[in-house]
Amino acid sequence: MKTSVKKLATAVGASVALMAAGQAAAEIKVGIAGPMTGPVAQYGDMQFSGARMAIEQINAAGGVMGEDLVAVEVDDVCDPKQAVTVANRLVNEGVRYVVGHLCSSSTQPASDIYEDEGILMITPASTSPEITERGYELVFRTIGLDSMQGPVAGNYIASQGPERVAIVHDKQQYGEGIATAVRDTLQDAGIEIAMFEGITAGDKDFSSLVTKIKQADVDYVYYGGYHPELGLILRQARQSDVDAKFMGPEGVGNKDINTIAGEAAEGLLVTLPPSFDQKEENQELIAAFDAKGEDPSGPFVLTSYTAVQLIAEGIEAADSKDPFDVAQALRTGSFETPIGTVQYDKAGDMKSFEFVVYEWHSDGSKTPVN
Amino acid sequence: MQDLLYFFQQLINGLTIGSTYALIAIGYTMVYGIIGMINFAHGEVYMIGAYTALIAITGLATLGIAWLPLVLIVALICAVIVSSSMGWAVERVAYRPVRGRHRLIPLISAIGMSIFLQNYVHLAQGSRNIGFPALIEGGFQFGSEDTFPMSISYIQITIFITTLICMTALSLFISRSRIGRACRAVSQDLGMANLLGIDTNRIISATFVIGAALAAVAGLLLGMYYGSVDPLFGFIAGLKAFTAAVLGGIGSIPGAMLGGLILGVAESMTSGYLSGEYKDVVSFSLLILILLFKPTGLLGKPEVEKI
Repeated sequence: MKTSVKKLATAVGASVALMAAGQAAAEIKVGIAGPMTGPVAQYGDMQFSGARMAIEQINAAGGVMGEDLVAVEVDDVCDPKQAVTVANRLVNEGVRYVVGHLCSSSTQPASDIYEDEGILMITPASTSPEITERGYELVFRTIGLDSMQGPVAGNYIASQGPERVAIVHDKQQYGEGIATAVRDTLQDAGIEIAMFEGITAGDKDFSSLVTKIKQADVDYVYYGGYHPELGLILRQARQSDVDAKFMGPEGVGNKDINTIAGEAAEGLLVTLPPSFDQKEENQELIAAFDAKGEDPSGPFVLTSYTAVQLIAEGIEAADSKDPFDVAQALRTGSFETPIGTVQYDKAGDMKSFEFVVYEWHSDGSKTPVN
Repeated sequence: MQDLLYFFQQLINGLTIGSTYALIAIGYTMVYGIIGMINFAHGEVYMIGAYTALIAITGLATLGIAWLPLVLIVALICAVIVSSSMGWAVERVAYRPVRGRHRLIPLISAIGMSIFLQNYVHLAQGSRNIGFPALIEGGFQFGSEDTFPMSISYIQITIFITTLICMTALSLFISRSRIGRACRAVSQDLGMANLLGIDTNRIISATFVIGAALAAVAGLLLGMYYGSVDPLFGFIAGLKAFTAAVLGGIGSIPGAMLGGLILGVAESMTSGYLSGEYKDVVSFSLLILILLFKPTGLLGKPEVEKI
């Protein structure tokens, strides 16, 4: 009896060793999960572009622990249901590191799966605080939180001394979360919130909302959500001669808002991560994007690049491919990346991340305000 | 005074959106009236109408043609032709082969067609929102600038007038023309009409074509009014128009008009006085209430069991 147990143990041990050997010969798979299609696919373009560049450069420099990184790209359409499906697909593919997802409402359910399956996830774009509030070990981000971005927007509006402010959101995790943060900041500053209201994402008719905004006679309108809806609201507001100033989070700040809103996008205020592509030390990397004919100026290109880089450096720092060891290494280490020095707190949030207020122009360019 | 202007402004918003619901609802209600099936691909036909109009407008702009009436007419004609052929083709491909089978079969075929068309446009045009040029800008203002200026934009007026013209033309067509008479006969009794020498296949095709043409008109108007199109927007609009058709009494053309207007006004009043979040709650509660107390809809006739 004893010997047979021993034999079994040896057999299992041998096969585990074999499996490990098999894995050592393989490449390291990195899942990239974000929207390739759907209404916010342009953010997905930024994410895929940044992550691919990082994988290319890391492989060109000899890979991670002598192995190449291989991207496994999946499309979640920014739909929570689809996010769960693709997360399971990544699990089946044997992926142990994921860069994604993009929309907070997708990241949240997908991260449950990754945490259960022992997969390390770094989201380059999801700013909802709840994602890292659940005590998960394997969830990180390379972007700030709504609880940082909201106050930046709120304080900016408050500093302009408005009498009344309207706040509109799209009822989704990201939009409503940030709208709530802005409302709280403004209320603390003693500014009257004339309306706080949700719309339905995907709607096209905002004439009633615009009429209401006009009736409320506000100085500022803050919108929490993405650009397809805000673009239409801006356009319809301009047609009805609403003279309030509009402001939104980084989810509205991309050039597609110009194709929808046209001239009405002029003067829109947007809180964005600082333009990492303008930084002196990143110019070599920016030139690499230019050489590929890709635009590195989007808010999530370099955060995605950084996410891949952190996975690679985390593996090397931990000297282990076990996601838990890598997570430990990320929490203790300090990493030099294109978005600055990254240090993580226990929750998996960056210790510091800055948002800047920009003014958007009708030709798709932006200028910093403060 | 200010509150009154606000009320009228919301009423105008509601009537504008309601009249386009009505235009789309006609397609549902006519098809239901004649063959008793719900054409779930109708919303997609409307979406394709909007895309065609956009392509036509962009094409004309690249040719340097900017004379507004010409642009509108060309866009309208292109949209109507493409959508009508689409409506006709959908009927030929997806419904005619399964006509007369169990009721669920054409319904499922319709849903399949709807998914197919949505994804076709996805592939052909991309999934992004595409901006639609605002061809008709400006409007009338009432009330003083410092209180609440009520405004009616020219595009809203265009939508009212076009809807009115389309509806009148359709009513005349149904009540006066040969095909219209045949339509009414087929809707009363398809088998009997067939026996009496009416080419029912042709009439059914005509119904699909008329419905699709009106949806194309709505597509062009709403594209200009809202300012963007995406491959999924036919689905939501289709759902609303279907609700309008059921509300007014499915199978009844005046019912579709009434249903559309009621739905539009209910939506804008809810967003105006309650909150946009309750918009759909109120419109669908309204639908449930009407179906509870008047199952045939507002203007629908009780269905006589056909043997």
